[in-house]
Amino acid sequence: MRRLLVAAVFAIAACAPSLSMAGEAERADLIGKLCGDATSLGDGGRALTGIAADGSPDERAWAALIARAVLDRKLSCDSKGAVVVSSEGSLDVFTHAQRTASEQSRSPLLSLKNRALFETAEAALALRTAPDAARRSAALRALERQASSMPEHLFEAAAEQENGPGLKAQMTAVAQAAALNSADPVKRIAALARIAATPDRRALTQVRALIADPAYAANPELKRAVDAAISTIGRGIATGDVLATLYNGLSFASILFMAAIGLAVIFGLMGVINLAQGELIMIGGYVTWLVQEAMRHLVPGLLDWYLIVAIPVVFLVTAAIGIGLEAILLRHLYRRPLMSLLATWAVSLFLINLVRVTFGTQNLNFVTPFYVTGGVPVIGDFIFTWNRMFAIVFAVLTLALTWGLMRLTPLGLNIRAVTQNRTMAGCIGIPVRRVDMMAFGLGSGLAGLAGLALAPIYSVNPQMGQNFIIDSFMVVVLGGVGTIVGTVVAALGIGQVNVLIEPLWGAVAAKVIVLLMIIAFLQWRPEGLFAIKGRRK
Amino acid sequence: MSMFSRRSFLQATGLTAAAFATPVGTPAIIRSAHAASGTVKLGCLFSSSGTMANIEGRLNHVVRMAADEINAKGGVNGRTIEVTVSDPASDWPLYAQVGKQMLEQDKVAALFGCWTSVSRKSVLPVVEQANGLLFYPLHFEGDENSKNIVYVNSPPASSVLPAVDYLMGEDGVSAKRFFMLGSDYVWPRTINKQLKGYWKSKGIPETAWKEEYVPLGFSNFQTLVNQIRAFADQGGGKPIVVLTVVGSSIPDFLREFANQGIKATDVPVLGLDMVEADLEGLNTEPLVGHLNCWAYLQNAKSAANAAFLKQWADYVKAKNVPFKGDVAIDPMISAYDAVHLWAMAAAKANSFDVPEVRKAFAGLSFDCPSGYKLGMTAENNYVSRGVFIGSVNEKQGFDVLWQSKDASKPVPFSPYG
Amino acid sequence: MKPLASDRAFLLLLAAVLAVALLLIISIATPFGLSAYLSNAIGQLAAFAVLALSLDLIWGYLGILSLGHGLFFGIGGYVVAMHLLKHSYEVTGRVPDFMQFMGWSEFPFYWAGFGFFPYALLMMVAVVLLISGVFGYVSFRSRVGGVYFAIITQALVYVAMLLMFRNDSGFGGNNGMTGFAVVFGWPIGLNGVVIAMAAGSVLVLGMTLLGCRMLLGSRFGILMIAARDDEVRLRTLGYETLRLKLVVWCLSALIAALAGMLYVPQVGIINPRLLAPELSLEIAVWVAIGGRGHLIGAVIGAVLVNAVKFWLSTAAPELWPFILSGLIVLVVLVFPNGLIDLAKLKLARPMGVQRLSSETPELR
Repeated sequence: MRRLLVAAVFAIAACAPSLSMAGEAERADLIGKLCGDATSLGDGGRALTGIAADGSPDERAWAALIARAVLDRKLSCDSKGAVVVSSEGSLDVFTHAQRTASEQSRSPLLSLKNRALFETAEAALALRTAPDAARRSAALRALERQASSMPEHLFEAAAEQENGPGLKAQMTAVAQAAALNSADPVKRIAALARIAATPDRRALTQVRALIADPAYAANPELKRAVDAAISTIGRGIATGDVLATLYNGLSFASILFMAAIGLAVIFGLMGVINLAQGELIMIGGYVTWLVQEAMRHLVPGLLDWYLIVAIPVVFLVTAAIGIGLEAILLRHLYRRPLMSLLATWAVSLFLINLVRVTFGTQNLNFVTPFYVTGGVPVIGDFIFTWNRMFAIVFAVLTLALTWGLMRLTPLGLNIRAVTQNRTMAGCIGIPVRRVDMMAFGLGSGLAGLAGLALAPIYSVNPQMGQNFIIDSFMVVVLGGVGTIVGTVVAALGIGQVNVLIEPLWGAVAAKVIVLLMIIAFLQWRPEGLFAIKGRRK
Repeated sequence: MSMFSRRSFLQATGLTAAAFATPVGTPAIIRSAHAASGTVKLGCLFSSSGTMANIEGRLNHVVRMAADEINAKGGVNGRTIEVTVSDPASDWPLYAQVGKQMLEQDKVAALFGCWTSVSRKSVLPVVEQANGLLFYPLHFEGDENSKNIVYVNSPPASSVLPAVDYLMGEDGVSAKRFFMLGSDYVWPRTINKQLKGYWKSKGIPETAWKEEYVPLGFSNFQTLVNQIRAFADQGGGKPIVVLTVVGSSIPDFLREFANQGIKATDVPVLGLDMVEADLEGLNTEPLVGHLNCWAYLQNAKSAANAAFLKQWADYVKAKNVPFKGDVAIDPMISAYDAVHLWAMAAAKANSFDVPEVRKAFAGLSFDCPSGYKLGMTAENNYVSRGVFIGSVNEKQGFDVLWQSKDASKPVPFSPYG
Repeated sequence: MKPLASDRAFLLLLAAVLAVALLLIISIATPFGLSAYLSNAIGQLAAFAVLALSLDLIWGYLGILSLGHGLFFGIGGYVVAMHLLKHSYEVTGRVPDFMQFMGWSEFPFYWAGFGFFPYALLMMVAVVLLISGVFGYVSFRSRVGGVYFAIITQALVYVAMLLMFRNDSGFGGNNGMTGFAVVFGWPIGLNGVVIAMAAGSVLVLGMTLLGCRMLLGSRFGILMIAARDDEVRLRTLGYETLRLKLVVWCLSALIAALAGMLYVPQVGIINPRLLAPELSLEIAVWVAIGGRGHLIGAVIGAVLVNAVKFWLSTAAPELWPFILSGLIVLVVLVFPNGLIDLAKLKLARPMGVQRLSSETPELR
């Protein structure tokens, strides 16, 4: 797409040698600025934005390429002016002929201040010149936040030449919002209404600044409008904050749930505390990475879907490890929960160091597919980040599948039976040892899946499992051993309380308070929230 | 059970006795307690396991590489260098323990070690008691001046203030509000203390900054990034984040920052401990523009740097080093410089005794791969280094945004708080 | 339990401990004997042995597994560190590092008086008794036991670690506390002082061994074993098990704190890492490897595992975790009740109840 655009622009430019002499001089001046020092680079950026507002279509097209090239560091300045390196090769900026940069060429490096200016310029130019509606829409969103500092007629001009009705309406709206500081009070009131429609803290600061404006005191209508806008925005921000807290809590809860569900199944069934659970999560992460690498070599086109492809692989691998663990080690430690605790701790130590020696200690490099990148602003300052959404959806699916397995399959029936009364289940013919093995495999597989879901959120390294051990135990013990409902409720509770306390006293205090609360609760009710009724020994 | 008997009891007791005896006997067998004539020993205190492993582990290999380079030129005072490597496992007391062992049992001529200030402060009493020498390659909080530690890298006056000044100035973003986010230990606390003193001296009010600390290894930055956004949107001037988290917290923070859509042009982050290695797992496109400040950046343009990078890449391939051969971070260069500085001092003093070597520091000068000439004086054990301010680029590296004209004289004790 | 005089294995160990102490005492004054470095290592091993004894007391003889004994070890260590720092400050006038980088010019109020050792000791006893007492009382009263108790103690020590890592808690935070200059008036770096501290630790180990043995040989010890074997039955017979468990629990906590007080001056630093949950787990590993339910097993396990760890952390650092995990699996599978016990079962003639056969529930 880009190639076509470049070709088209240069074709147009080539077919129109009637660039006025003044135009040429302006362009030379601009390139001179871009190839100068940081201050003149800034001036160049501002000039580019001016061209977006005022320039002719040819100039805008040319300027768009230049702006993009500077941002991508594809502009090389040399003694004869400058060269743009594109897919066509390196082209001179004025004559569009093929030319390689001379020896002493350098690419201007953007400082932060200048980067901001160029990003604005590039967005402004894209707004006017990009052939692709999605591109124009993205540019509009980027410019919306600084609408009032843009040249006034930029948005109106863009709206005029816009064909798509939805986008046209949006541009008109932004044009209105840009008029916040204009002289006309009617326009200002319209702008206030526009701004209040997307409430966030930035808007609040913008509107609050108007209180200092002399027109605020002078014009009662304006005053009313400003006050109304402030209260609307305030409400929007408050709603956004509440939603953000809920979302963060839900996200943390989903992570806790996935880390703990495998543990809950195993502990409920066999009374084994599996201290290697964190390491199984870590192995899930590593297997995901291996799948990514395999796909990179075999089917690079489908690389973005590695997370989905990895699901069955991770489950089977970690389940196999779990089954192996049970068969080789834990089987012999039947009825000795303490020794199994120590044994699983030894396994965890072994696994951490095995992975460390094999893969090294560095964080793994994960490709972030589009469906777990970025976020969507919803209301107020609340942004819906996709990677955590992925984790939440994954947790819900895991919950559904586990519940389905437990309630609807024969294996699930057996697991429930053995959990409730192991001896009796053995007496009526349930193959208890085999159920143990399968359940351990299930629990381990669930831990592996947790590792997969966490890969887009946390760094994956040999130590990552250690962060989840204490928390997942607390969830299991609080929720009541052997119940899925208990795990869900406990995870939600712990996650939400943690997130509520965090902004008040910090992350550490939140963790400490939550843990102390759980310990206190357990003293009062040791079997947890939803325990299977039994004799308290 | 009938297989076991009195024999196993005696075996057990024998094992216990052997356990006592081994530390006595082992040195003679496994490690030579004193350098056989012809070699001189150097010790490394860098972790290859635990949270610091990813960044500290490489420094062991750099020291070895520097030793090989010096040995190829004939060694020091006619002796070849032998490097002893250990693994304090990111466990601060273990650094002290291993350091003590290296100084007292192995009789190393000098120690090269530590990254976190916590580990250095653990080793400090050990190295002072044994009158040894520790070459410390990391930039740090200053406020220390032991005659047994060589501070190869910069105190805040030359590693923090230049970058903060840049950001506060016209060339930067004219920053007026500051969100300080750090890991909870001595280095971030001291840096922030000094920064607050600095800002106070410039008349900046207390309401313009906010300070938050997270435990080492913390990874769940969702709420904190929300707080940063709220702080930034409050208005009152351009905000920046002064980031003093370390280790794996850095990529976790940057990832959350990018996911919530904050760009460097909105709220720039000055990552004071951010190195190229921290960007290894990340997609840095949305992070372009964030800053760091070190005495060396991989993209520094100098002949010495090109030579060093090639040397490191070749060494990685030849010795199968488990780290990337195309990534070079400041502490690696500082460790490399440290070995050379020690060798030059020992050669100048024609002895390996610590007091003699120390006397030889005055007037030393070395061509660092960063392109600057390192210098030491008789005043203290600090080394003058150049200053670079780097800007994140899309290729998981740093572009050189600004560099100092020359290697400035280091200021050990901060005048600001 | 066998009468003391005929418990051959125990007497052998006690003799060995006293012999080592004697050797150390000789080394203080004369140039023969052990080097300062080796003495220091022995002293640390002795401190760990005392710690293992404290866990064996409640786990081996009472059947309660605590995976959080590092908490009490840490309390003892912190108290002695506070004393040493305050004392050093009073002697040398040098303000501790952690106050300097926090910008504090005065010690927080709870540091007052710690320069005076008896006061510090009293505070330690008070704090340990308070924490262990409250926690023990509440847990035992609600009949929390077994795996739940173990997990909760892990969480407890984890909470303590998080709190201590905070730099604003006034206990040195992440840096911990280091830079102890003087101990009881003697400069801490002198070789003689190092060896003397090691000798002291070994002597304390000997005394603790003897004390625990006498406790277990008494009527109290029989009650403990009865509680471990079947608490319900004991309760039915009319004994007050809550008080029994509480007393032993608090005693065990105090011994662990004592171990901490021996350990910290010898390593010269205390750091919240000591409160890491993994370290508390390791204590259980020492006792399990050595042999739970025998005092000598705890000592041997602690000494063996830590000696190998010291040696390997410099000789072959990569290997240590693998060796440790292999050792644990070996002990758990092949020697179900620890190394030493296996031999004991053949040496000794079991009297009455087979204490540690595999039918005994190891956990309630």
